[in-house]
Amino acid sequence: MCRDTISLLLMLLVAALLLLSCSPMVAQTQGSPHVVMGLQKPPKVGEVVALPSGPMAEKAATACTECHESRIIVQQRLSKGAWTKEVDKMVKWGALVDPSDHYALIDYLSSNFGVDKPPYEAGRTPSSTGKK
Amino acid sequence: MISRRDFLRATSVAAAAAATIRPLLSWAADETGVAIPGKDGMIVRSARFLDLETPPEYFNSWITPVPHFFVRNHMHEPSTLDAATWQLSVGGEVEKPLTLTLADLKKLELHSVTNTLECAGNGRAFQRPQVPGVQWGKGAVGTGHFSGPRLRDVLHRAGVKTTGKHVMFHGLDEVPGKVPPFIRSIPIDKALDSDTLIALEMNGAPLTKPHGSPARALVPGWIGAASCKWLAEIKVLDKEFEGNFMSPGYRFPNQPGKPGEPVKPEDTHPVTGLNVKSVIAAPSEGAAVKGRSVHVQGVAWAGEADIVKVEVSADSGATWQVTQLGKEHAKYAWRLWNYAWKPGKAGDYVLMSRATDSQGRVQPETAVWNPSGYLYNAYDQVRIHVS
Repeated sequence: MCRDTISLLLMLLVAALLLLSCSPMVAQTQGSPHVVMGLQKPPKVGEVVALPSGPMAEKAATACTECHESRIIVQQRLSKGAWTKEVDKMVKWGALVDPSDHYALIDYLSSNFGVDKPPYEAGRTPSSTGKK
Repeated sequence: MISRRDFLRATSVAAAAAATIRPLLSWAADETGVAIPGKDGMIVRSARFLDLETPPEYFNSWITPVPHFFVRNHMHEPSTLDAATWQLSVGGEVEKPLTLTLADLKKLELHSVTNTLECAGNGRAFQRPQVPGVQWGKGAVGTGHFSGPRLRDVLHRAGVKTTGKHVMFHGLDEVPGKVPPFIRSIPIDKALDSDTLIALEMNGAPLTKPHGSPARALVPGWIGAASCKWLAEIKVLDKEFEGNFMSPGYRFPNQPGKPGEPVKPEDTHPVTGLNVKSVIAAPSEGAAVKGRSVHVQGVAWAGEADIVKVEVSADSGATWQVTQLGKEHAKYAWRLWNYAWKPGKAGDYVLMSRATDSQGRVQPETAVWNPSGYLYNAYDQVRIHVS
C-alpha cells in the first residue's frame, strides 16, 4: 500500500474520531441515559434508548418511542395493574403491540419500572451558571 | 511509513473539519444532558415531547426568566409555524365568525397580567401510591408577565350568542398516532374575565415556540392546561367541550377518597383554579449550611386567591414561624418569602413550609390523592444539615 493511501486512510480515521467526539449522538450505556438532542423530532439515531435489556426491550422501544421518548417510560413507578391500564390506553392511541406480546410487555414494564424500584434521577440541560 | 508532517496535516484537517461543525452543534456541547435552545439548567422530564422542570433554586425572582420557565408539551410542537401567515379563527356560537391575523390582534388594546402558571400535575412524583404521567417534582411552575389583547374583546367583536356557555381552544400541536387532539374549553364567565388574554408576549418579548408562539390563551390563576399554546381556533360552545383532555383527563374527585382507590367519572369535576401552595427555594434539598442564621426563602401562590401568610417549621410542624413576604405582588402572581432561621444547634433538620391564602385555604400536611396526581400541594420540605 503506498504512503499516500495510508496517509489518506489515517486522515479519514482521525477526522472521524474528532467528529465523533463532538457529535450530539452520544452512545448509550444502560442506566446512564446521557444523550443530547435539541429537536422535538430528532432522527432515530439520536433517540434515547435507556431501556433495560429483556425479551420485550426492543418491542417496547418500537411500540412506545414512536410517539414519545423512553424517559417517559423509565421515570414511571407503577403497579402491574397500572401498567396494564397504560399499555391498553396507548394501544387505543395507536401503539403497535402484537396481541401475543401484550402480557409480556406489561410484565417487562412492571418488573423494570415497578413501585419497588428506586426513583429515577432526571438529568438537566446545560446550565450557564454551572449549577448541577 | 507516514511522516510526522503528514500526520500533523491529517490531524489539522480533521480538527478544522470538527471546528467547522462544532458551532453548528454548539447547542449540544454538553454531553451530560439534553441541550434545548433557549433553556438553561432545566430538569429534563422528557425531550420528546418537551417537558422541562425548573429546579427550585431558580425560584429566587418574582418573574421567572424564560430560560428557566418550565415547559409542558403534550404533543409535538408545530413543525411549521410562520407568524406572517398564521391565522386565528373565531367561530361557533357567535354572530359574526372572524379570522384574525397577528397584525389584527396587535391593533386591539393590549393588556398585561403577571401570572403564576402551574402545570396541574406539578408534584405528581410525590403522590403515594404513585400515579402515571410526567413525574414532576416541585418545579412545573413559574411566574411570567404576559401581554396581549383580552379574549373578551375578540369575543365581543364576534358577538357571543346567548347560547354560548363555554369557549374552546384548539392549538396547533402535532398529534402522533391516534392520540386525541389537545382541545379543552373554559366556562364563558372565565373567558370574558378582563384578565383572560390571547397572550402574544411573555416577559416583554414575543412568545418563544415552547411557550406557544405566536399566540396562546392565558387563563390566569388556572392550571396551565387551560392556557392553550399555538392557538389556532377559538370556538364558542353551548356546553363544555367533550374530549379526552376534559374527561377523563384533568378531572378531580368531588370528595377525597382512599389513596389508590378508583374514582368514578361521575364523582369528578374539571380541574380549574390552582391550590394554595408554597415551595422552599433555599436551602436546597441535602444542603449543608453553616452559621447561626440560615436564610430560608421560597415562593407561594394560590391561583385566583392571594397569599396572606407563609410559615416555616423546623420541628416537624410542632411550631411554625411566620415569614416575611416579598414586596412584589399582583393578582394571580406568587409572592416571594424569606425567613432568617436560627437553628440553635448543629444537626440534621427538616425544614417545612406552608402557605395560607385570602380564601382561608391552608396548605395541608397531606395532599388529596387522586388517580392522575393533580394539584399536589402538601407542605414543602427540605432536609438539611447544620454545622
